[in-house]
Amino acid sequence: MKIELNVNGKDYSIEIEEHLRLIDLLRDKLNLTGTKEGCGEGECGACTVIMDGRIVNSCLVMAFQAHKSKIITIEGVEDEDIKNAFIEEGAVQCGFCTPGMILAAKSLLDKNENPSEQDIREAISGNLCRCTGYNKIVSAIKKAAEIKRGGRNV
Amino acid sequence: MYRRIKKVLGGDILKKRGKGIGVTFYGTGYGNGFPDVSRAYARLLEDGKVEILVGATEVGQGAKTVMVQIASETLNIPIEDVILVNEDTSKAPDAGTAAASRQTYNSGNAVKIACENLKDNILQEAKKILNVNSKIGLVCEKGSVYVKTYPSKKVSFKEIANINNNLKGEGVFIAHTTQMDENGQGAPYWPYTFAACAVEVEVDTETGEVTILRAKLVLDVGKAVNPTLVEGQIDGGFAMGVGYALMEDVGLKDGKMLNSSFEKYIIPTSLDIPNIEKVLIEYPEDTAPYGAKGIGEPVLLPVAPAILNAIYDAIGVRFYEIPVTCEKILLQLNKG
Ligand code: FES
Ligand code: FES
Repeated sequence: MKIELNVNGKDYSIEIEEHLRLIDLLRDKLNLTGTKEGCGEGECGACTVIMDGRIVNSCLVMAFQAHKSKIITIEGVEDEDIKNAFIEEGAVQCGFCTPGMILAAKSLLDKNENPSEQDIREAISGNLCRCTGYNKIVSAIKKAAEIKRGGRNV
Repeated sequence: MYRRIKKVLGGDILKKRGKGIGVTFYGTGYGNGFPDVSRAYARLLEDGKVEILVGATEVGQGAKTVMVQIASETLNIPIEDVILVNEDTSKAPDAGTAAASRQTYNSGNAVKIACENLKDNILQEAKKILNVNSKIGLVCEKGSVYVKTYPSKKVSFKEIANINNNLKGEGVFIAHTTQMDENGQGAPYWPYTFAACAVEVEVDTETGEVTILRAKLVLDVGKAVNPTLVEGQIDGGFAMGVGYALMEDVGLKDGKMLNSSFEKYIIPTSLDIPNIEKVLIEYPEDTAPYGAKGIGEPVLLPVAPAILNAIYDAIGVRFYEIPVTCEKILLQLNKG
């Protein structure tokens, strides 16, 4: 079957098999390998992408369900504030969870530029990280929010 | 008013708080007689930068950063002038595994020795170029060598490399590791890292859930080569300790794993981990590169004992088996 979708601002019209998952479409067909597969069963959030403004686990979405939708993957995140804050705070260790974390952070900050610590912890609670213990990720998102509100110029 | 107080009191009774500490010491490296050797090469490049070859694997812990820092410190050159090749087995010599909390100490030592040897060769060459009788009066700084008492008498690493393109240094570090006797006595490791953890927990006596309210971790690091990375290791190790104490269970049965997916093998999320007050104690270790000891695993070890002690303080039940899950807590509470 054929689907149409927009990924990171680019329109695609692609022939897919019915059983294809969105994560396979992104990684194998569009070569956007920044999206990671951790568990393949909706538990870890490594495969997080933004679909029509909402974060989804791309391992649980079938590719055909993305027909006519707008997807943002880590490759399409133009927001340098979040990425820089992650680097500055030391919020990246092995990096496997990072694409998903950044998309979860983006989705939060798109809606709320002044999140509390609890808001941040809830926003990334669907994204598992084995390395960082989350604290530096939380402070990175706090910092990104601060920069966005004009607290500091980078 | 009366009803409100009653409610608050009720809340207090359902949720009990306790504090606990855990203190551990842990050897850096493989230890116990298992051979533990790290190798590194340093080479002066044509453009005056220095190439470091060392098979220290980066897994997110920061080996790449720390090796570059150690080389830059030893040769007194900017970080940007260190070119690290660390994960190419056709070029980099073996530096053992990124395990046993050993890369900073063991491979860091190898890098330091390689750089010292290279520095010696650079100074030897500079001595000839600057026409002085000994290396003693020479200073190595920011990619140049000059005469201490006559600083304008100077030659850059680049100029030295153009005169001699074969300046190298090798570093081999062999760690102390001896086997214990049949009674488990001996001196298996050197050095040891000490760590202490304190936590305050709240146990919900209705659901068995344990919440970590506050945490403090004190770590004797020898020297924090990169304090941000050490903090990252503390945060990560603490979270692993929380999982180890309260959640994580592979559930081995007849040699098979029962909990082989994240649906059943539960690890902490961002909501399970508090902010951690961190204290780094810097008491440099003589045999270590700039005093830095292994810290990767030591940060994790005192966490579970601290949590189990805090649970005991809260509800008076001693657990001897981990993970202390909600079910196990409820089972114990309903017993008595
Ligand atoms: S890979 Fe999709 S949630 Fe883990
Ligand atoms: S940085 Fe390794 S899983 Fe998050």
